Amino acid sequence: MIREWTSFFVAVFSLIYIYELSLFASGAKDSALALMRNPGIIAFNVLALLFTLYHASTWFYLIGKVQPIKLGKTASKPWQALLINIVLLLIISYAVIQILILR
Amino acid sequence: MGGFIAAFLLPVLIYLVGIAYPLGLWPVANGDPTSAILNHHHIGTLFLFVTVAGSLYHGIFRFQSTLTEIGLARAKRALEAIGYLMIIIGILATAIYLLQYNPSFFSLP
Repeated sequence: MIREWTSFFVAVFSLIYIYELSLFASGAKDSALALMRNPGIIAFNVLALLFTLYHASTWFYLIGKVQPIKLGKTASKPWQALLINIVLLLIISYAVIQILILR
Repeated sequence: MGGFIAAFLLPVLIYLVGIAYPLGLWPVANGDPTSAILNHHHIGTLFLFVTVAGSLYHGIFRFQSTLTEIGLARAKRALEAIGYLMIIIGILATAIYLLQYNPSFFSLP
C-alpha cells in the first residue's frame, strides 16, 4: 500500500513542474527559478525523489517476481532484476546529465 | 509505459531541477537546468515532454486507483473522471508551454 501512496508525489511533482514550465513559457523565468528555490518546495522535492526511487525499486523487484527470465533449468531471482534495473537507471540518469546538461 | 518513464526518467529530472539547482550541487551549480535542457532544442524538449507527461499520467492514474481501494469505491467514476481530466489538461498544457518556449520544434534540426 505504501508503494501506491508514493504515486501521489510523482503526480504532484509533475504538476509543480508543469506550473514552472508555464512561467518559463510566459517569460517569467525569475519567478520559476524563485519557486524552485523555495525551502518548502526543496523539502517536497527531496521527499519526492526518495519516494520515486522507492516506487521504482519496488517495481523493479516485482518485475523479477512476476516475469522471471528462464535460463536453461534455472530462473532469474527478483533481486537480480532489481540489481540490473538499478544499474540501468544509473546509466540512463548519467546519459541524460551528460547529453542535456554537461554537453 | 507511464510506470517505465516514472521509474527511469523522473528521478534524474527531480534531482536536477528540484534538488541540485536550488542547493548548488553537481552538475548544475552555475545555471538553471530547465534552460540547459531546453537549449538542446529537439531532444531536450522531447525529454521534458515524455518525462512530465508520462509521470503525470502514471502518478494520477495510480493515485486515483489507490483512493478507490481505500474506501472511496462509491466515488470511483467521479474520481476517474477528475483524474483523466487532470491528465488530459496537464499533457496538453505541457505540450503548449514547451511549444511556446521552442516554437520551431517541428522544423528540421
